[in-house]
Amino acid sequence: MTATIPAEAGTETRTPQESKESAVAPKPGRAPTKRTAKDRLILGTLAAALAVTAVVAAGTGQLPIAPMEVVGSIIHGFNNWLQGWLDYFGTGWNAPFGGAPLPEHARGYETLWSVRFPRVVLAMIVGAALACAGTVMQGVFGNPLAEPAVVGVSSGAAVGASTAIVTGLATQGNWVVAIFAFLGGLITTLLVYSLSRSKGRTEVVTLVLTGIAVNAFTFAMIAFYTYVADPNAREQLIFWQLGSLNGASWLSVASVLPLLLAGLLMAFLAAGQLDLLALGERSARHLGVNVERLRMTMIVTVALLVGAGVAFTGIVSFVGLVVPHLIRIIAGPGHKLLLPASALGGALLVLLADLGARTLVTYSDLPLGMLTALIGGPFFFWLLRRTRNEQGGWA
Amino acid sequence: MNFSVPQLPAPAGRFGRKKRAAGLLASLAAVALLASGCAPATPGPSGTGSTQTSAAKPAGPVAACTEGTAGKLPLPADWQAPSPATGATKTAAKAPTGPQTANTAAITLPIVANKATPTLPTTVTSCDKQLVDVTDVSRIVTIDLNGTLTEIVHGLGLGANVVGRDRAADFPQAANATVVTPTGHDLNAEAITALNPSVVLTDTTIGPLEVQEQLRAVGIPVIFFDPSRTLPGISHQINAVAGALGVAAAGVELNKLVGADMVAALSMVPQDSTPTRVAFLYVRGTAGVYLMAGPGSGADDMIKAVGATDVGTEIGLKMPFTQLTSEALIKAAPDALLLMTGGLESVGGVDGLVKIQGIAQTPAGANKRVVDVADGTLLSFGPRTGQIIKALSLAVHGAPQ
Repeated sequence: MTATIPAEAGTETRTPQESKESAVAPKPGRAPTKRTAKDRLILGTLAAALAVTAVVAAGTGQLPIAPMEVVGSIIHGFNNWLQGWLDYFGTGWNAPFGGAPLPEHARGYETLWSVRFPRVVLAMIVGAALACAGTVMQGVFGNPLAEPAVVGVSSGAAVGASTAIVTGLATQGNWVVAIFAFLGGLITTLLVYSLSRSKGRTEVVTLVLTGIAVNAFTFAMIAFYTYVADPNAREQLIFWQLGSLNGASWLSVASVLPLLLAGLLMAFLAAGQLDLLALGERSARHLGVNVERLRMTMIVTVALLVGAGVAFTGIVSFVGLVVPHLIRIIAGPGHKLLLPASALGGALLVLLADLGARTLVTYSDLPLGMLTALIGGPFFFWLLRRTRNEQGGWA
Repeated sequence: MNFSVPQLPAPAGRFGRKKRAAGLLASLAAVALLASGCAPATPGPSGTGSTQTSAAKPAGPVAACTEGTAGKLPLPADWQAPSPATGATKTAAKAPTGPQTANTAAITLPIVANKATPTLPTTVTSCDKQLVDVTDVSRIVTIDLNGTLTEIVHGLGLGANVVGRDRAADFPQAANATVVTPTGHDLNAEAITALNPSVVLTDTTIGPLEVQEQLRAVGIPVIFFDPSRTLPGISHQINAVAGALGVAAAGVELNKLVGADMVAALSMVPQDSTPTRVAFLYVRGTAGVYLMAGPGSGADDMIKAVGATDVGTEIGLKMPFTQLTSEALIKAAPDALLLMTGGLESVGGVDGLVKIQGIAQTPAGANKRVVDVADGTLLSFGPRTGQIIKALSLAVHGAPQ
């Protein structure tokens, strides 16, 4: 059964039983999720690791603040929030946690709340969005190499954002860049989808070649924009191509969070159908999946997620490739576990990469996309070797 | 939780629970609109306030940007060279051939003699039209691409208060402050905040601008100054910085010192009937990438100041820096080339430079008439500019007779 989908079967040993589990679902995509103990262990471990890393990341930066002071600052922030409500209802009470330790550094508290915390949160959002987008793409294309950056969707989004920057529309506000990034991503995803499919399936080679073509075109567009741009816009374009979370604010968090939530919701709702799609298009159709509608919804989902992932940060590559593959090795290919686990794993990976980006070089901020590609490139290579050794490679 | 409150994610008191839910639903649009309101992406000239020229405490806010662009204003009257009719016409020695280096080693930063006590607080209209209150100038961070602001603050006698600066400021007095831009780009908000600055002076030549916004969110007063670098703009920039730091009188005094240097420099510039045609080339590395400076680059003003013609402006370049083809360079046929010392070194000196396609075929390349000037000086447009013009003039024309 699974032999028809080299993509999913290849990297997995547990495929048959997992697929069967979804296949017996009474209603496609609406099956009540029964999480096994192992599932819960994986999700729990990832969530715990993410939480611990988030706390460590929040406590590490170029402005030295002791861990207890970070915790104290969070309590203080909560306390102030509470106080706001107490005052609003005119209770006259004092919020109870005013005694928490504050950072010794004069600007420590404000720095945490307006520089570091939004950055940590945005890192998690971007990671979750990109990893989830990768997972969904791999599911929809039935192809292990589908990844926003590899097939050119990220750079398509970058072209959208560059258009906004060069034409000066970006001065209307950051949201313009985000919307253009979304539109660019959507157009490119549709393009890649229509170009690389024939007779209802996408071959690995065709997809990769389409990605090369799309990437060549989008990079040419960006190069053209770089050529015509004034120095200021040129700086922004370079920032976009390298990817960075520098300058993250609650504003950018609030702008991309709805995109992420919408994308995650759409992806999770379709998890069961994606599993059925993995059985092959015909089998899925016989099991009641409206394949074309699923594909189109998932393309919009990918565009939403990639838009969220790149709008304020630029191209952060390989997250969508590395994370789902790692998770599949641990958790198997069932999307009901794969999607949330990938989201958590992606958040964890970008959080760690960004921690390096903002602390490795004093007074400087390394490009995040550079770091993820440094990790992702070798991983990609290892993935190729591993697949080749185990099943003779991807045709 | 209202994310748009810059200080803390605490609820704004006026929002009820229902309104809050609605606010979250509309967060993308609403927050984005707010973003457009705060973005310093297009600092325009401020409409209010006036440049302080007297020592009196300003009545209104100090304008960080002059009305209109500073470049369109004339050079202050007491900065201009005496009219040539009053003295003998200065003619240059025989135009030098071969490589020349502008002697910038002897240049000293003019610093006001009397250490002024800042009159605080001041209110400044930043170039992004935000009103910024300055209450403390004991810990100043100055960051721009050319080191201009660092230089001015030192000239005003407040050099000891500078705790952080950009990499471009290359004069000895600046050495004590921490360099917060080791790569020249990519500011890091936390690293700057760690210096606990009481005020940050910057402009849009360095970024990402989100970092300056973050510094504001942290509660540090951030003032954007005029990003244009022109000769007439210097005195306005000095007055603006002095006014912002509450030492308007020091600004007037510094302007007198700089003006005297400027007059001395401009008086010795030869008045040639056929001005030398000089092109400023920005070259880095041997990959054959070179940009020619044009209007608004700053180099155009410096070339004009030494009585030469800026080739980039003459051939109709529109942008401050334009990537040129070899053929366009040959067609432009400059008499002399002006380069940064670092740039010249990166292509292997004058011998390496003339190997670049197109350069040997120009009159400048054929005569190896190449003038180089230390990196941090030519485009700094700070208090040292008068002396830099003098050094540059000597290098371009040779000593006057």
